[in-house]
Amino acid sequence: MTSIDPTCVDQPGVRPPLIDGDDTYSALTERVCGIAEQPVLETPKAWFVAISISMSVLAMLGVVIGYLVVTGVGVWGNMNPVFWGWPIVNFVFWVGIGHAGTLISAVLFLFRQKWRTSINRFAEAMTIFAVMCAGLFPAIHVGRIWLAYWLFPIPNQMEMWPNFRSPLLWDVFAVSTYATVSLLFWYLGMVPDLATLRDRSTTKVRKLAYGIFALGWTGSNKQWHRFERGYLLLAALATPLVLSVHSVVSFDFAVAQLPGWHTTVFPPYFVAGAIFSGFAMVVTLAVPARAFFGLKNIITMRHLEVMNKVILATGSIVGYAYIIEFFIAWYGGNAFESFAFQNRAFGPYAWAYWTMFSCNVIFPQIFWFKKARTSIPIMMVIVILVNVGMWFERFVITVTSLSRDFLPSSWGYFHPTLIDVLTFVGSFGLFVTMFLLFCRFLPMVAMAEVKAVLPVPHRNSSGDSSSEDDPQEPTASDAPEVTL
Amino acid sequence: MSSMNPAGPRNGYYRSLNELENSPEFQELFEREFPGQDTQSISPFTRRRFLQLMGASVALAGAQSCRWEKEEILPFTNRPDGRMPGVPSHYATAFELGGVAQALLVTNYDGRPIKIEGNKEHPASGGATTVYAQGSVLGLYDPERSRGPSKRGAEGKPVDVTFQAIEGALGEALGPLRTAQGRGLAILAEASSSPTLAGLKAKLLESMPETRWVEYESAGRDQVIAGSRIAFGQPVRTQYDLDDAKVIFSLDDDLMRDHPDALRHARAWARHRDPQSGEMNRLYCVESSFSSTGSVADHRLPLRSDQGLAFLLALEVRLQALAGGNASTPRPTALAGKKALAFFDVLAKDLHANKGQSIVCVGARQGAQAHAVAHRINALLGNVGKTLSYTQEPLSEGLGDLKDLCVEMGAGKVQMLLILGGNPVYDAPVDIGFAKALSKVPTSVHLSEFRDETSHLTSWHVNRAHYLESWGDARSWDGTICMVQPQIEPIFGGKTSLDLMALILGIKDSSGLDLVQAEAENYFGDVEDVDRSWRKALHDGFVAGSAYPKITPALATFDAKGAGASADALAVNGKLELVFVTDSRLYDGRFGNNGWLQETPDFITKLTWDNAALMDIETAEHLGVENDTLVELSIGGRKLEVAAYVLPGQAKGSVALFLGFGRREAGRVGGSVVQGIPAPGFDAGTLRSSVSPWVASGLKVTARHEGFTLATTQDHWAIDKVGFEARQGRIGELVRGGTLEEFEHKNDFATEEDPELFTLWERPDVSVNHAWGMGIDLGKCIGCNACVIGCTAENNIPIVGKEEVINNRELHWIRIDRYFAGDGKDPRVVHQPLGCQQCENAPCEQVCPVAATTHTEEGLNDMVYNRCVGTRYCANNCPYKVRRFNYFNFNKDLEDPANAVRKMGKNPEVTIRHRGVMEKCTYCVQRIQQGKIAAKREGNRPIRDGEILAACQQACPTEAITFGDLKDSKSKVAQAHKNPRAYALLGELNVSPRTLYLAQIRNPHADLANLDHVNKAENHNDKH
Repeated sequence: MTSIDPTCVDQPGVRPPLIDGDDTYSALTERVCGIAEQPVLETPKAWFVAISISMSVLAMLGVVIGYLVVTGVGVWGNMNPVFWGWPIVNFVFWVGIGHAGTLISAVLFLFRQKWRTSINRFAEAMTIFAVMCAGLFPAIHVGRIWLAYWLFPIPNQMEMWPNFRSPLLWDVFAVSTYATVSLLFWYLGMVPDLATLRDRSTTKVRKLAYGIFALGWTGSNKQWHRFERGYLLLAALATPLVLSVHSVVSFDFAVAQLPGWHTTVFPPYFVAGAIFSGFAMVVTLAVPARAFFGLKNIITMRHLEVMNKVILATGSIVGYAYIIEFFIAWYGGNAFESFAFQNRAFGPYAWAYWTMFSCNVIFPQIFWFKKARTSIPIMMVIVILVNVGMWFERFVITVTSLSRDFLPSSWGYFHPTLIDVLTFVGSFGLFVTMFLLFCRFLPMVAMAEVKAVLPVPHRNSSGDSSSEDDPQEPTASDAPEVTL
Repeated sequence: MSSMNPAGPRNGYYRSLNELENSPEFQELFEREFPGQDTQSISPFTRRRFLQLMGASVALAGAQSCRWEKEEILPFTNRPDGRMPGVPSHYATAFELGGVAQALLVTNYDGRPIKIEGNKEHPASGGATTVYAQGSVLGLYDPERSRGPSKRGAEGKPVDVTFQAIEGALGEALGPLRTAQGRGLAILAEASSSPTLAGLKAKLLESMPETRWVEYESAGRDQVIAGSRIAFGQPVRTQYDLDDAKVIFSLDDDLMRDHPDALRHARAWARHRDPQSGEMNRLYCVESSFSSTGSVADHRLPLRSDQGLAFLLALEVRLQALAGGNASTPRPTALAGKKALAFFDVLAKDLHANKGQSIVCVGARQGAQAHAVAHRINALLGNVGKTLSYTQEPLSEGLGDLKDLCVEMGAGKVQMLLILGGNPVYDAPVDIGFAKALSKVPTSVHLSEFRDETSHLTSWHVNRAHYLESWGDARSWDGTICMVQPQIEPIFGGKTSLDLMALILGIKDSSGLDLVQAEAENYFGDVEDVDRSWRKALHDGFVAGSAYPKITPALATFDAKGAGASADALAVNGKLELVFVTDSRLYDGRFGNNGWLQETPDFITKLTWDNAALMDIETAEHLGVENDTLVELSIGGRKLEVAAYVLPGQAKGSVALFLGFGRREAGRVGGSVVQGIPAPGFDAGTLRSSVSPWVASGLKVTARHEGFTLATTQDHWAIDKVGFEARQGRIGELVRGGTLEEFEHKNDFATEEDPELFTLWERPDVSVNHAWGMGIDLGKCIGCNACVIGCTAENNIPIVGKEEVINNRELHWIRIDRYFAGDGKDPRVVHQPLGCQQCENAPCEQVCPVAATTHTEEGLNDMVYNRCVGTRYCANNCPYKVRRFNYFNFNKDLEDPANAVRKMGKNPEVTIRHRGVMEKCTYCVQRIQQGKIAAKREGNRPIRDGEILAACQQACPTEAITFGDLKDSKSKVAQAHKNPRAYALLGELNVSPRTLYLAQIRNPHADLANLDHVNKAENHNDKH
């Protein structure tokens, strides 16, 4: 990187454009829809390679889960006293990643952060897929998988309700609510873009498929009005969920009385960590996606830089939490508590603790430098380290606390098994497969929204010779100029 | 059915030409196909018989793959008297181990013995049991027990034969021996105190006086007996009465676990460990490796076993001098350090001060001279007739006899060898070459429950009936005759020693019952109604008043010399000592195929499924040996590679090795070469010679630096620094205790620092009709594991195997946490049995999302297996980590038809848990319910205290565990909870456990206690 990307140059008094290049409405539509409209045979080979790899991994996940169901959860490394091992670590990891999407869509929407428009669609998609991965783990984690549905309050002949005092039950509600609202929010925002795809469809199948999901969108003023209102309301609904879901996940730990878990700092600390890991994952996906699908003008370096700033901020919050935990462990004067933290940092799991600490707290500090924030190689290294670090954070919390609790007679050291590793890797297969399918068949960028933030000179530009030669019918989704 | 007649084809139809000819080959084939069928007795069909068989074959269609010898289904059209389906019945019997009977009471469900308890009426048991007796019931249902007699075929492979074939062969071989007065006939029996067997033996020796009779036990007490010969000129058995002893000094003697009379000792010792009920006794131990007794001693000195005699002699000299007012005689040279020297001085002083109220006892591993000296010391102290007495000794010194027998066998002088039990090929000392000598014997018969190492080398094997299937009798340590009566028809057939003896003697048509009954008439003495006495003996399980009379043998004068070495010379590699220890679970290896015992953690090392070379920290450092690595032990030219285990408190320069592991033909659990199953552990026997079967000097240890994972249920002493410091720092808080002085100063010292607890909410009433609770006295627990096995048997706890123990997935509902306190050289040990604490405010219940664990009104924390989905959250939130999870279907092997017999041993009152569910101690809720139902049926009377016993409590020899209703303020448990020593483990968590622990009170001698204080202060200063 010899010079700083132009979108990132701050000029006093001038707002840098959110979208780079000189795409017009139609060019933008073309660019985004083009990806989904490619004939099957013309799909880039790389996509095929990627999806065949990810689907193989997904198939392996299926096999591993099958083996697990047939054999028992003993195929994992879980034992006494570490009754929760990798599956729960993976669950929290994926739920955390699932945070960025809704945060970007809902919270930034409410705060009128227009830069979100370029990245919100696939950040939301990422959320949905991450929550899918997350949801998988608690379900397969229980000893009798075939009875996992007992966790839901389904009226039954036993007249048994679940135990409403259990944080695990709150978790069931929190995650399922979050998954539902995220899905609705994502889908609702996509309706105008789906209508665009429908209108541009050349084959019957496409027309029918997109048509069904476009819900008869015509782009009338009335529809736009209702859409905006609905979207706003859903955003308002989703916003508290961003905070609640990971707070509730943290209750799984905080409400227990285990030293190292029983901590009031957990809800905010978990939420910050979730946003941290979520943004890291968005950057991890956005960088290759924008390069591969030619979206560099829409997802500009400025977007990446802003996300890196968020990573820096949340990473520092997480670092603060790590340090304050130690302070409280000492200040609180509870011997079990202070040992739990000493043991984390200097006990047999010190390697995991310091991996976590350096990945999450030390390395992201490089983002104080603008050069680092705007350098693709540096940011890729850092965000991947953050992903690793955040997985280790959950590992450290879950496993080290359990491995040495009150009675030294029951202490133990956790060893993961091959199945543990394969299950975790397999969940990436699920995630990547879903994401690749999404990239290929759905509008990756919220066209309708991006059009609203196109630099003024490009909006419906008539000076564009190509559009004169090939006059574009205004499509149903061309956004009216409203301020979102 | 009658077409099975091997006599020839019926109706002219035949299956092969052989059959037509009825050739010997066919006869043999037939026998092999239907072993044990008394084909003559099968009568032609009747209509009823036909219908029965048709019914049975339909009913058994699903069980056709099981190879039962005989299937009978007889409906109870007329219910036998006193038999109620589903209601357990209890019968007394006895279990003989090493020639000493343990009186038992067996619980039977629908004719199946499922649980062993001690016979409460019998003074030696008092209702308690040893781990061996508890575990023996699993042996009954071992599918690998031999199912029929066999003959050694080509390449040593056993070929199934009928007992008749053996009868025939033996009859033939016996003919010439009979005429030769028994010359050439030898009988090698395991030690037995059975009067019936002794009677038959006498008969045999009468009719064939040249017969050689040898009794051998690999864990025998030869040197004890030899010692009494030196001291008294005759074999004498010492009976200790710990009740009257104020000071007990044990040299290498595990009085309370390994001793044949351990249960009585433990109970008596424990009665004087409660400062609130009389004066406490004081226990001194000098030993090379931790024994249960040593682990609870008030003062313990680790010392090499080969220094024992020198120590005793020095002690004797000191005691003699003290009697003359002189207190400065030489101390044993092996003692180094202020503490060790003070130990000696104080021990002598204390023994002297408690003349007539003390006991000096010496363990079986010590040499004959040491035992003789101990007798002299006891006489010097005037203890004889007060704290100990003498009776006759029925057992003999078998090792010498076995050696002689081996020589004769090797010389071809033995024509026929009858091995009645035991497994000499595995457990006889290597240097006498038993296996080789055996090959020179033309006819050898091995009576054994398993086709084990010995069975593979003898020409015939006869399957032995389990003691729960047999008639017999045996004497307990004090001589009281115990009756052995069958609880069940032999599952796989089988013979007893008595049957074989009857065969040799040519006694026809005489069952074990007849033989025992005939002998019983002799020991009932002069009674009018023999039948009544017989029934009473069977009912009681023993013949009251049949104990040996006390004798007062005269002490001979003898010289004893023991060379003491200097302390520094003791830790030289090549001059180390190797001590063989009977294993706390497998004994001498006979329980090798018993999964319960294999998986029981050793009381001190917490090792399961393995033995290891135990060595102390200093010696290990000196030798460059680490935990969980292999070492090579070499002694007298013999070598063995074995895993090392560094144990604090082991004597410097002494390496201990448990016997009983590394079996070659034990079975699927204990290892089998034939089946290709590696044996757990290492065969210590390969290092054991007849010259030094217990303590061998001149050991060289070579570190191999090769890893070997030992399956322990608790961390090693050595862990990382952070963990070590935290663990040692917590011990005082978790296992509370103090000295008698501290207790007398402030009797609630154990709880004085406990914080006051508050609650924000009104808690639900969990003491509605009853409030079940438990009290565990840490001062009494000796860590013997009886509770662990008792619980395993009662609650159908499956074994998980070595791999899963390494993965920390063992399922024991009660575990005994063992903590070392103090320094690694000479630590104190505390045993803490830990089952579910049944918290009133249970943290597990709040977090279960499906409400699978809930509270009863009586305060039990119930586990609803059917509701459990297995989130395992409860276990995470359990501060005691007593919840156990079924990571796999650990009962899966029951689905194998070959294991069908194992189902018979399950307790029908307790659910078999499926995989994926949590389980834990229930306070034996099934027993509580039975007690409640019984009380309700008897007019809703209140439940008596002590009527309901938890399985762990019932098995406990020291009565450390009390259980009952806290609402009954007079109950023992309510008293225990009110005891000022009572404290709640982790009580500050406000979980209100229903199990309280009573702080351990130690009774150190003031002089040594002060020394401890000084040391403590010194250590304290070192730190700053």
